[in-house]
Amino acid sequence: MRMNRILGTLALASLFLAPLARGQEPEPAADPKKPDDKHKTEETWFAVTGGDVYTGDGSFLRGATVLAHNGKIERIGFELDFPADTKKLDATGYRVYPGLVAISSSGLLGNSSSEFEDTIDPFSQRMILGLASGITSTGVGNSAVKLERFRIAGAVLRDRIYSTFSWSSRNPSGKQGLRDKFRATADYMREYRDWEEKVKKDKELKEPPKKGVDNAVLSVLRGDTIAKFNAGDRDDLLGIARLAQDYGFRPVIDGCQEGWTVADELGRAGAMAIVTARDRRPKDEHQVIEGGTNIQNASLLYRAGVPIAIAVQQTGVDLSGLVGRDIMGLTIEAGFAVRGGLPEAAAIASITIVPARLLGVSHRVGSIEVGKDCDLIITDGDLLHYNTFVQWAIVDGRIAYDKQKELFFAQIRPRPEPTVAVGERKLDKGESKPEAGKDEADKSGEEKPKEEKPKEEKPKEGREVGALATAPRLIAAPNRNGYRVGGKPVARLTE
Amino acid sequence: MVRARAISILFAANLLALAGSCASTRSGAPGGRLSTDALGKIENLAQGEQGYALVASKVFALDEDDHVYSPGMVLVRGSKIAYVGPPREVPAGYAKLEYPEGVVCPGMVDLHSHVQSGGFGDVNDMVMPVNPEFRASSAMRPSNPAIKRACASGITTLYGIPGSGTSLGGFGLLYKTKTHASFDDCVIRSVGGMKVAQAYNPERRAGDLGLTRAGLAWMLENINHQALGAEREGRFDPALANLQKVHRKEIPVLIHCAGSDSFPAAARMWKTEFDTNCVLSHGCFDAHLTAPYEVGLGVPINAGPRTIDYYSTRDGALTGIAHEYEKAGVKHLSLNTDSPVVPEEELFLQGSISAHMGADSYQMLRAVTINPALVFGLGKRLGSLEPGKDADVVVRNGEPLDPRSHVETVLIDGAIEYDWKRDGQWF
Amino acid sequence: MILQTLLLSLASALPSADPQPAALPNLFAIRVGRAETITNGTLQHAVILVEGGKIVTIGEDLPVERGIPVIDRPDWVVMPGLVNAYSRLSLEGDAGEEFSPENKASDELFADSEELKDVVKYGVTTLGLYPAGNGVCGQAVAIRPLGKTNADLVLADSCYLKIVLRASSSSKRALRDGFKKADDYVEKEKKAREKWDKEQEKKKSKPTTKKEESKSEDEKKDDSKDEKKSAGPDVYVPPEADPKAQAFLDLRSGKLRALVSVQSAAEYLHFLDALGEEKISWDLRLPLQRESDLYYVLEKKAYGLEADGIGDKKARCVLEPTLTVEPGTMHVRNLPMEFARAGAKLVLIPRSESNPDHEHWLANVGEVVAAGLDRATALRAMTLEAAELLGVDKRLGSLEKEKDANLLFFSGDPLEPTSKLEAVMLEGRIVFGEVKP
Repeated sequence: MRMNRILGTLALASLFLAPLARGQEPEPAADPKKPDDKHKTEETWFAVTGGDVYTGDGSFLRGATVLAHNGKIERIGFELDFPADTKKLDATGYRVYPGLVAISSSGLLGNSSSEFEDTIDPFSQRMILGLASGITSTGVGNSAVKLERFRIAGAVLRDRIYSTFSWSSRNPSGKQGLRDKFRATADYMREYRDWEEKVKKDKELKEPPKKGVDNAVLSVLRGDTIAKFNAGDRDDLLGIARLAQDYGFRPVIDGCQEGWTVADELGRAGAMAIVTARDRRPKDEHQVIEGGTNIQNASLLYRAGVPIAIAVQQTGVDLSGLVGRDIMGLTIEAGFAVRGGLPEAAAIASITIVPARLLGVSHRVGSIEVGKDCDLIITDGDLLHYNTFVQWAIVDGRIAYDKQKELFFAQIRPRPEPTVAVGERKLDKGESKPEAGKDEADKSGEEKPKEEKPKEEKPKEGREVGALATAPRLIAAPNRNGYRVGGKPVARLTE
Repeated sequence: MVRARAISILFAANLLALAGSCASTRSGAPGGRLSTDALGKIENLAQGEQGYALVASKVFALDEDDHVYSPGMVLVRGSKIAYVGPPREVPAGYAKLEYPEGVVCPGMVDLHSHVQSGGFGDVNDMVMPVNPEFRASSAMRPSNPAIKRACASGITTLYGIPGSGTSLGGFGLLYKTKTHASFDDCVIRSVGGMKVAQAYNPERRAGDLGLTRAGLAWMLENINHQALGAEREGRFDPALANLQKVHRKEIPVLIHCAGSDSFPAAARMWKTEFDTNCVLSHGCFDAHLTAPYEVGLGVPINAGPRTIDYYSTRDGALTGIAHEYEKAGVKHLSLNTDSPVVPEEELFLQGSISAHMGADSYQMLRAVTINPALVFGLGKRLGSLEPGKDADVVVRNGEPLDPRSHVETVLIDGAIEYDWKRDGQWF
Repeated sequence: MILQTLLLSLASALPSADPQPAALPNLFAIRVGRAETITNGTLQHAVILVEGGKIVTIGEDLPVERGIPVIDRPDWVVMPGLVNAYSRLSLEGDAGEEFSPENKASDELFADSEELKDVVKYGVTTLGLYPAGNGVCGQAVAIRPLGKTNADLVLADSCYLKIVLRASSSSKRALRDGFKKADDYVEKEKKAREKWDKEQEKKKSKPTTKKEESKSEDEKKDDSKDEKKSAGPDVYVPPEADPKAQAFLDLRSGKLRALVSVQSAAEYLHFLDALGEEKISWDLRLPLQRESDLYYVLEKKAYGLEADGIGDKKARCVLEPTLTVEPGTMHVRNLPMEFARAGAKLVLIPRSESNPDHEHWLANVGEVVAAGLDRATALRAMTLEAAELLGVDKRLGSLEKEKDANLLFFSGDPLEPTSKLEAVMLEGRIVFGEVKP
């Protein structure tokens, strides 16, 4: 029954899982002991075991294992066998999500916004905070990069993603100019294809002239880059949708504040949108039709078939103390989209796989799939819940962030005990099959009083107390004095 | 191992699921043992009376005993609450509002807000540093868009105050966030309390008196002594009349101050020296380091809009400010938005983030409802769901501090001011 | 002022115009309470025999022949003269262009400079001066601080090639371009060689010169007349390299070392990335900023770096004696100590070029020692290790036989702030303070 679910949801993984589930040996190719290590590169195996895996494509595997080989996801499933030197991270009781993809951010990789291969600072404190917020990949400027700590190689996923165009009612001639460019370029492409055919017979035939052809438009129409517009006014959005339909490309619209008023048109045009749930712009009072920002924007666009990537209001990390709108609040912003009606799964997709698609890197990141980069976050609760912390962030099968090892959040609800260990060759947590929810709920009910001392006074007879205690949160560590962070004793554990 | 599983189930289940299971495990128990008298009289409505019976999956009463009923019922009779408790038979005449997945809370209260005039402007007259004659009510624009949005987020009472550009900015007004109201309809007290700015803004940098903390303090002491003098002599001075109310403890004073350098000084002046009902507002940066002193004096703290501190303590940790006050034992801690510094409608998010940063979620819910009401002397009327109190009731479709939960219905003084289904989603 | 006490007798590079002639003879002995030899630990009751400005012998309680004058100060402590291997004292040259590997600090020298004379009284007897700049700056020179002419000053030239590497494309490109220039020369040299070989063959086969058909037009243009001439006498003379290329050829051949300045952990990785597969000898200049994050790149295994850390490579690092704090905190870190413990070789320099920082150099190092840095490592970092960086370790930097008698006389432990520097001896002569047999 359970296997069926996996097979259904993870077609790729199933190729590997099926034999393993019958307890067979792992495939020989996967065995590092086999003397084919002629390659100089070290074979690295990494497994996150026992976590509740949310793969990001809709499936949920309770107590499953994600196994990575040389930074790529090798297998996902239950009762996996893996090599003896596999580094294991026991995520039992935690949730495993794909690393978040911030559609745009600034400052997480150092101070630069381009040429990342030569400028990236993989030791930046901001990168730690980015990972602590769950972000493992991000768009910066016109590139997509990974938050690779301690290394500068391989951070850039993709360069020159977008061709950015301006389309604004405030500049009518600019709109006309862009239309002209598209027309000329489309004509040129048609003539060129024509010429390509004819030149086979008539070798003397001249190449068609490139008159009026715009290179940015050309790269969009050829599919080399993605057309990106910064627009929010209803009229502009309609104009972009029309342009896209006329010339057959899928635009990315950044802002898209009044998108909810023309969601159907945008959906039909194949537009993709980058939206901020809490954007605030008043309606133009001269317009009779509805307008302005709307917290339901993301939801309405989504329902009209527009892929949504959620962006935050401030792309950088803000440590001034005014919290909730900078890049560290990406999940909060997604939460506000849910408030506006976006389904939870779509909200999670809007900060994982959809931005990965908008950045053209969804073959590498954005979901937990066999063959993709092993970029995971392991949280102590529901990703979109405000109390949830990222406990670990994994980038390319390596632990890039561990909440307890960095100073920023270690003192808040410290994690009970370290669980990272190099394991022996052993079956993972398959034997402790999680039962149906209710059984466990009762057990947990029995356990709680031992570990968690309720702050409130004893419940009055017949009345409930500690109302919000139902919010998912970690149970405080039993060792009250043992934790020291940065040489300073942590004042107290959460009570 | 068992614990690990316990945790896992805690995570796996969301609030509503747990709420449901709680309800099922304890079903029947509360109703059976409670006398109706303790929870309010349940009577049929008289002819011409209006009333609502709200039935929801969970009711946070936020009363002294932290009652939570799941499922629960709130009866609103006229402008007051008539009953809070487990669902029971709805008496005749009440309109029944059912929220099978809804969570009912009292309306939120923000003690540090500047949206009464509709924007950030119009909050400080900068000519004189001490302005005991001024009242924020002069600039009040009832039911302006910011107030409407605040209502749609579950805020029902605001203390709208002058800014912090001058030492004594004037007097703020307490009003309800009714969405279609006149001044008289929504204002609770037009002189609701005094606003003082002790540091971190009122400094007169042009070089006038009040460039330093000493000068600022002297100006405040001076005006206080003038008011005390008038009080002793029984002399009527229109400029000092409202300040005298502060000395007589008829109205509270909210003091804008922050940082360990000015926080205790403000507490000393307004509690020890002049013995007022003072509330210290902001308390950001490293002010939490002085919390034991303020706790010793019994001065309540109204924290915000900054919810974390990084640069002041410089130990590499992000410190949750509310968590620090909670640990220090601050009684009746409340949170603010200083709106529009933080948008008024995100008051609840100040609580969520404080909880994320270490504070207790439930206590943070108190910090935006009953606690601010208590420290401003409004505990008898506002801030919790108890029979006899103002019927300021908010229904959400989920956990009150979760950004994902939207507000379904807001009742203020027993009238439906905002309804998600009726009005569309404002926030 | 100081120079009035200069005592001269030897035929050396030191100024000879001093009004006071020799007070110390050519041969004398020093007997002190303690000597920090650097190479041989601490000697008690040390006796040093100096002849002709060189240390002849050193040991504990050595008998001194009758007739040899003895400077007898049993309460004093002696250590080798300080070597400030990374300085721009007395130099004023502009930064010039970004890429100037051929620049030599020796071209900017300014003998008889007051700045150099000043630091002698703080115990500095050797300096390494580098050319200014923000890219590939040029080559450093090792000098003694006192001398009448520039030639008098120079101990060794082209000590290291100073390179400033930043996390930027232009900076990394500059380094790669240098090696590209060297590659271009190698290619050019190969062609010249082939051409010469061919000419030799032709000479053998056909004694009379004929038109060279095999050559392309370009190559003909390249041919300089000099080359043709040199090809004449049957000896191959390689074409002269562009001086910019020459510096990088020297780097590759090991004739020149690189001193690469990086100021953050990221820049260290970018340096290794820019260097690529090139095998050259390099040392690091690591300016310690207040919130330095260089501890991240000490050991590869500590953070799983993609390359060897500074400690793993046992790299030589030029640092200020200063304590730093962990970024964003007030948690103090002793990076000089961490570097030493990770296996790096330390060269400690004054915190700045100012006189006070030279004056407090030893005390500042003392603070870092008090905070955990190994004392012997610290002393070596200011003397022998610095001399090795400059390539003058064969003649100075420690108290050893046949080395220059560059000695500092202290009233107590050199690292104690209460100790006083009583006298400075440079190559056998007292250049500061007063010491008499």
